[in-house]
Amino acid sequence: MHAAVRALALTAMGVVAMTAPAIAQDPRIVNSEQYIPGIWIDPDGCEHWAMDDGTEGFMSPRRTRDGRPVCHRSEICGVMQADQLFATDRYNINAEGRAALESFFRSANAFGFLIYGHTDSRASDEYNITLSDNRAYAVAEVAEAVGVRVVDIRGFGERQPIATNDTAAGMQQNRRVEIYCLR
Amino acid sequence: MVGINKIALLGLLAVAACDTYGPDKSVDRGINAHHVSTLVAGIWVDPDGCDHWIIDDGVEGYLSERSTPDGRPVCSGVAAPTTAVGPFKEGSPIPDIL
Repeated sequence: MHAAVRALALTAMGVVAMTAPAIAQDPRIVNSEQYIPGIWIDPDGCEHWAMDDGTEGFMSPRRTRDGRPVCHRSEICGVMQADQLFATDRYNINAEGRAALESFFRSANAFGFLIYGHTDSRASDEYNITLSDNRAYAVAEVAEAVGVRVVDIRGFGERQPIATNDTAAGMQQNRRVEIYCLR
Repeated sequence: MVGINKIALLGLLAVAACDTYGPDKSVDRGINAHHVSTLVAGIWVDPDGCDHWIIDDGVEGYLSERSTPDGRPVCSGVAAPTTAVGPFKEGSPIPDIL
């Protein structure tokens, strides 16, 4: 009696297990063949899905849901503290900062540079986008004066903090110009 | 004649690397077997002037976008549009005759 009940229960479970996926199956999802990719990391340090199907190869960049590439940039080539280059709310570079940038661009040994400005979260988003954009362009002008190639310039304002904006030290870290080297 | 050679070669390669490998596509199991993470890339510049990673791995070819940190295309000017530069054919000893 006990065994029979167990057998019945197992059968019931089996039936459930076999039919449940079919019931849950979205009819718009067709039968599929499994393609498990490998990851290839490009010379910039970013991941790509790569599949080798015998005589065909397939590849596509791995991205976050908001479209950014998934990367292991061993290090951003250079991060300049904005405080060392600019006065508050200004975007003209002081003489000391200009010399440091010139020396950086001359010795970086890169084919080209991506230059991105960032601010802390004080003032409006719009104001900070403009300020960081102007600061990135000011740094790019130094690069171009030295004779190196600038591939991309952009200000992200306060939208990409790397530290908290709740402390003075955090805000200071967020005020920065990031320089990526393309080799 | 060249056409016949190509067909013969394709036949040989099909035997060497037939499509019955199962779901794990992360390994090149043919001649010169290796994991896909070891591929060597160059840069192909598209007609709009933007960079793509290009890899000629013998029988397989790969192409994928080069991106800025926020996901826009990198258009570096490393070469003229529709040209390729770099060591993208160096990952494989299979000659590029097909």
